[in-house]
This record gives sequence, C-alpha cells and structure tokens, in this order.
Amino acid sequence: MTKKIDGRIPANSGNEAGFTQYNAVQSPWNKLMSYQDALHYASRFEAVLSAAVAQAYRIIIPDYATRASEMCKEAYGRLYYTGINYPGDDGFGIHPFMCGSYPGALIGDKGDDALLMCGRCQDFGTYRCEKELDVCDWDICGSELCRATTMSLQGQADATETRHRKGHKLDYLMVEAKGCGDRHCRIIAESREKYPAPEHELWESFGPAVSDDYKKYTEEEDCVEESMMFREECDYHFVNGTNTETDSSNQMVNLSTAASLYLLPAIDNAVKLGYTTAENAEWIKKCVLEAAGKAMFGERYAIRACREWLGVPNTIGEDGRLLGGVIEMLLQSLVCHYEIEAFNKDEVIYVINRGDLAITGTQSVCEAHLYMWQGMVKTLVNAQWSVWEEDSPKGKMRIKIAKKIDKFM
Amino acid sequence: MYKNIFKDDEWKRSEHMAVREAVGYYLFTHQLMEVTGPDACRFLDYIYPNKISTLKVGRDRYTTMLNEEGEIIDDVVIMRLEEEKYWVSTLYGTKCDDWFYFHSDGYDIDTSEITEDWHMFSVQGPKSKDVLNEIAEGGVEELKFFQHKNDVIAGHEVLINRGGFTGEKFGYEVYCQADDADDVQDVIDAAVKAAGGKEVTEFQVFAWTLPTEAGFYYMRDLNHTNPFEVGLEKNIDWDKDFIGKDALLKVRENGPEREMVGFEVCDENQDFYIQAKQYGGPGQAVYVDGEEVGRVSKLVYSYVKNVNNGYILAKKDTLHIGDHLKIHGYECVITEKNWLQ
Repeated sequence: MTKKIDGRIPANSGNEAGFTQYNAVQSPWNKLMSYQDALHYASRFEAVLSAAVAQAYRIIIPDYATRASEMCKEAYGRLYYTGINYPGDDGFGIHPFMCGSYPGALIGDKGDDALLMCGRCQDFGTYRCEKELDVCDWDICGSELCRATTMSLQGQADATETRHRKGHKLDYLMVEAKGCGDRHCRIIAESREKYPAPEHELWESFGPAVSDDYKKYTEEEDCVEESMMFREECDYHFVNGTNTETDSSNQMVNLSTAASLYLLPAIDNAVKLGYTTAENAEWIKKCVLEAAGKAMFGERYAIRACREWLGVPNTIGEDGRLLGGVIEMLLQSLVCHYEIEAFNKDEVIYVINRGDLAITGTQSVCEAHLYMWQGMVKTLVNAQWSVWEEDSPKGKMRIKIAKKIDKFM
Repeated sequence: MYKNIFKDDEWKRSEHMAVREAVGYYLFTHQLMEVTGPDACRFLDYIYPNKISTLKVGRDRYTTMLNEEGEIIDDVVIMRLEEEKYWVSTLYGTKCDDWFYFHSDGYDIDTSEITEDWHMFSVQGPKSKDVLNEIAEGGVEELKFFQHKNDVIAGHEVLINRGGFTGEKFGYEVYCQADDADDVQDVIDAAVKAAGGKEVTEFQVFAWTLPTEAGFYYMRDLNHTNPFEVGLEKNIDWDKDFIGKDALLKVRENGPEREMVGFEVCDENQDFYIQAKQYGGPGQAVYVDGEEVGRVSKLVYSYVKNVNNGYILAKKDTLHIGDHLKIHGYECVITEKNWLQ
C-alpha cells in the first residue's frame, strides 16, 4: 500500500457552465448532483432520446443501405462545410506541416473526449491513424449512426486537408463499433497509397482495414470509464499528442448529441429528398418519442429511483412536479436557461430558452424533448397528466405540465 | 500477434535511414512569429529564459518558454535576422501570440504571426551539405550550426538556416515564400534523389523516431515539466529577469523532483502493449516495488539500433541506467536518452 492520496477534481471544474452557488445541478428539493455526474446524466438521456429518433428515421427510410447512405452523405457534407467555414487547426494542435487528411484524427480525438467517449489514440501518422474507444453513450442508437459519425470525421479531415500543401488522403473506417456489439469502437484511417484497397461507397465505412494487423487492442482490465478531463491519472486534463490541452471547466456548454448532430438533420434531409412529408416525419417522431418516454418509467422501481435521485420528499405525491424536477435537472445539465412560472401540485410551467435547447442549432431538438416529456409524464406521474406547449414568447418554449383530458390523445 | 507500427514498417524505416545514411528532406513549416522594434531584444530576453541579448545577427538560439510556475509551455528557435528583427519558430503560434500580447506592455515592439507567408523544407543527413551546395547559388560551405543566410534557390530568394531536429551533424532548413514553395521543392527533391536520398513523408519519422534517437523532445514530452527535469537548464541566463524565474530558482535550490530517462523494450521481437504520452493521455504507469515512479512519455523505434526506444518521466533517482524493470508486464531497461552515440 502506497498511502497515496489521489488528487481531487479541480475546483474550476464546471466554472464556465453558468452555475451560481455550487458547480453542480440542483433539484427543486435541493438535491445536488455534481457537475461530472450531471454531464454523464445529460449525455445518457440525450443518447436515449437520440436512439428513439433513430427509430423514427428507420421507419421513414426502411432500407438499411439507403438509410445509411443518405445519413452518411448528409453528415459528410455538413461537417465538410463546417470544417471549411470554421477552421480550427490551432485548437486541435494541427501544425502547419501536417499536410493531407491525417490531422483529422486530432479533431476526432478531442471531440471524443469532450463527449465522454473515452479511450485512447493508438497510432497517429501520415499514412495511418487509430483510435480506440472504451465507452460511447451513443452505442444504443444503431450502426447507421456509427457509419455516419465516421463520415463526418472524414468530412472534417478532408476540410482540414484543403488548408495545407498537398498531402496524402486517408480513408477513415470504423472497423469495430460498440453500436454493432464490439467491445470497442475502433477507427482506423489509412492511406490508399500505402495500403491499397478498392474504392467504396461513403456509407461502407466499416472496413475492413488493410492495416488491421497493426491494430492495438486494449484488454478489458485496461479499459477506462472516464474521459481524461475526469481522470486523476491525467491530472484532470485532456491532452493530445500535440499538446492541445483542455479541462472540464465548460464541457457542458459544448455537449452535442447524436440527435442534434446527425439524426434530426438526417430526418430533415429525408424530407427534403422526398422520402416522406414534413407532416408525416413529425408524426412519426411524435409517436416514437412519446413511446420512448412512457417506457422510461413503466415500472414502479424506476419511479422510486427517480424520486430518490431528485430528493423528492414523501409528502409530495403524484403530480407534475416530479417531471418538473427531471426536466430542471436536464436543462441545468445542458446549460439551458429557463424560468419557472409555476411550480405547485396543480401545474408546473417553464419558459425555456429555445436557442439553448436547440443544441448545435438544430431547432427540432426542442420538439423532440417535448414529445419525450409527454410520454414520460404518463408513467412517472399518471395518465391524467400531460405536457404541452402554450403561449410561447418569441424564441422561447413555454411548457405546461398539468392534468388534461383529450378524447383524441 | 500484431505488427509493430515502427519496426515492421519498411516505409518508415527507409525514410528514417535515408536521413541517417544519405539525405532526406521534408516540409517542416512551423508557425513563425516576427518580433521587431527597438525593444525586441529586451522583450525576448524577458519572455525566454535563455540569453537573447548576446545573439548576433545571422545566428539562432534554442530556448524554452516558461509560465510563471517555471513550467515549460513551449520550446522555440529564435533567429536574429536584423538588429531589431527576430523570427521565433514555434509550434504554439496562437498561444505564443497571446503570450506576447499579454506581456508586451512597456516594450516598443511589433509582433505578428507570419506563418502563412513562409514554408520551410528541412534537408537533413550526411549528404545534405552537398545537396545545398549544389542547389543554393551561394553555397553553404561556411555556414556554422545555428547560423542562417540569405540565398537563392531555383531563382527564388530563400533563407537557409543550418540546424534541424534529427541530431545530424549536417542539416539545413530552407525558408521560402509560400508562392515559391513548389519550385523550391522541385529543385530540392531532384538534388536529394540524385544524392541517393528521398523525401521523408511520415510524420512519425521526422517528429518522433529521428529526434528521439538523438535525445530531442517533441513538445508533448515537455508538457508540465521544468527545464531542470528535462535537462534544458544549462543555458538559462540567471543574471536577467525572465518569466518563471522565481519559481525556477526554487527548483534550482531544492533540486528537481523528476527527471527524463531513456528506456528500451528488451525483446524487440515481442508483441508488447505499452502506452505512451506521444499519442495523448497519461502514458503507461511505471512501478518500482509497487510504487508508481513515473509514466512513459514516448515509445518509438530506433532504426539505427533496432530497438524499441523511448523516454520515461520519473521521480528523481528512482530509475538508473541499466535497471531492468517490467512496464505493463514487459521487460524493459533504463538507458541514456541518445541512441546515436
């Protein structure tokens, strides 16, 4: 025994997430949840919501190859143009001599850590890069998403390439994916000049990689569960191989989600391409997300756990404040500003800043949450209760949680 | 058994050995900060711990850059182009720009980042002098180490600096205007190939394997260390004021708590799994008698010695040359940090 005392999470963790009293989110009954836990909670909740949106997308485009292909094209194009229009080489430690698309691996590496997708870079070179993830909250969203995230990385890498002298293009492949049941997610990016292989369609991004025999597999006992910014052995800092360094002071502000970044834009794109109408797409999202919300508290033990998690006093029975507590914890975790207009046993009203909730600017994220909350209230409280939007001021979403009878509900 | 990304890669080996045995060249454009004005020398002397005031026009100097805690936040080469004009070659451009800005009060200087205007080709290896003598109109016969001169290559004005990041006795850096880079590269490429060399294209070779063989650092190695811990304290000018001096004086008085040592994986043919900070992250923990004494900073491959070689940042005096230990279960030995001797 070394009697070593581990370093604690630095006091600045969460400093820039807008907290006033503690670097923690706070339930309506003053139960505190640490910034670190809140980040995980928000990430997981949003992954569940995203998984439901993925199901909606599957209904809209039933064929796997078509669906994956459209999703990959949309993600590649959007992230390519984002990379072109918002260059951030310095922020990722991309040096002027890094020509070609291999520096894209630095972008992916940093992004993973910020999204709590912890793991490690195993190789980083001009002709080959490898990244291995041990944890990915998005692994419940379906393998199409794994393909699309790979192509978004390809898009960013290709955009980076345009800012430098001519270099070597790398083909980014996710050769293992937790969304497919693998232990790890593993991206191998390899140059076709050095590792020749036939060309493939954008969506065929699962490999195999020609350089698979160079891969470095991390055994279970060496896997990690936290991003570098929350690990003592990393001094609570993300640091990549070119010395880009960040801490956990404001990661919540940067949190993006599978729904906001990939799945809702994919549905919007499907409408644009004529796979369905906007009305039908909205109807499918509503049906699926409400069902997903209902499933969250279908069993009594889930309700009991939720009450304990929120610190709900025994004197509070079945009413809308229960869902209010859940929503408040989420909004704080997402650094989404809201005002409380009413909070009593008969009604709960929040006025939520749409701009904050529309993560990464995807406006339909707000409605997706509303559908999910409407499902959740039916099982967390009871079927007499509903959540709906009413009299919203411009730029806000005013939601009401109250009893409601609707013969066509 | 998986292949070793260094040892089993003949592409990397050939590029690495071209530099060691003949000549290799590569685009090695860094970020360039230009500092001009009457107080440029005084300013740089405050920013950097090594002595800048004695740097003559036409000469260069390597120095670390420290924060107030005495930690290395950058290591750069400063070139004095004119009496009141310096170039600072860094890989930390944005931060360097901010650092200069926030410390420039009271100095009559101008600073600007000129990275986009210039490219730099590094020509390294025993035949690099012959190559430069052939392609540069004025030749480099008299050019001393860390000395630079203006010259002409392929009809374009260039700045040739003798220096490099490979440990080679002869190595040159050719700075040219970005618009001239294609022409200059064509001429360098032809001359290098005629001399039996080649272009070094692999980042891992020019940033990791070549420098590590010579005991050099890539910026990640130095992260949160101080100069005493990594052997870069020798040329610090203690007679002047500089950022980080107070903290560093304490280190000098008490002695450094850590040191950077070299190591090798004993069986070059074994399939091993040891993580290193060069890819980011904390690096593999190194234990002695159950106590963590350090972390692996770097693990690459010496194509000259045919060993997997690297650095460990360890508690002072816990690891000694010749010590055998297991890192993550693999037999390793502590060595000097130089594989070219």
